[in-house]
Amino acid sequence: METSGETKKVLLVNQLKELKTINQYLEELSGKWDLSLPFTMKLNLVLEEAFTNIVNYGFPDDKTHEVTLIFEKQNDSLFISLIDDGVPYDPTHASDPDINLSAEEREIGGLGIHLIRKMMDKVTYQRVGETNVLKMEKTITSS
Amino acid sequence: MKLNFTEANNFKVVEINGRIDTITAPDFENGVMKLMSEGVTNLIFDCSKLDYVSSSGLRVFLMAQKKVSANKGQLKVCCLQPSIKEIFDISGFSQIFTIEENIESASAN
Repeated sequence: METSGETKKVLLVNQLKELKTINQYLEELSGKWDLSLPFTMKLNLVLEEAFTNIVNYGFPDDKTHEVTLIFEKQNDSLFISLIDDGVPYDPTHASDPDINLSAEEREIGGLGIHLIRKMMDKVTYQRVGETNVLKMEKTITSS
Repeated sequence: MKLNFTEANNFKVVEINGRIDTITAPDFENGVMKLMSEGVTNLIFDCSKLDYVSSSGLRVFLMAQKKVSANKGQLKVCCLQPSIKEIFDISGFSQIFTIEENIESASAN
């Protein structure tokens, strides 16, 4: 992991076992940046949802691909970027599940992106060349 | 993630220990499916020791609710920690599950 001031960059591969790696770095950062447990849990959840989507849907081939995770702390805000060279996918344009449906009517899918959008203050997506760049922002709070 | 099973009234209580994430959700699903295949129709998910749940875990909750409803049984969720309750609220699951404070109220007839 490279560190530069308040920026941490982590290189991952497109495998679900990296969820453990992500958790480890999050624990380190929560100590370093004094992030509360509830706040860290939200980041953990958001990263799991976003990273799992990349691994499960981003690469039609069976090859190993690199996924870059960047944490940035600027004053009271935390920025998380996920960069991959998978198929173009903009999660900000996926429609939200209808959370007012009953259990019988509710579809199983769509929850992950909904949780990301609700837990983070701002989520933006850009296609840059052959890469997906997902950037998420959250004001650091105690919960 | 570990599941412990007890009984309360005519309910099977499933105490969920730890995290339900993409990696552990299949174990949770297998545990729940096994109970249902044994004919259990009234379930309480005791979430007092549930520290974390992602959409993979929420999917299993929803699957369980659908199956229990189809079998005309009851599913209650109890003892949610505040951060987990928040996830249930955000996802709309607080509206589709019967959520109780504790096992006593969950197992009351």
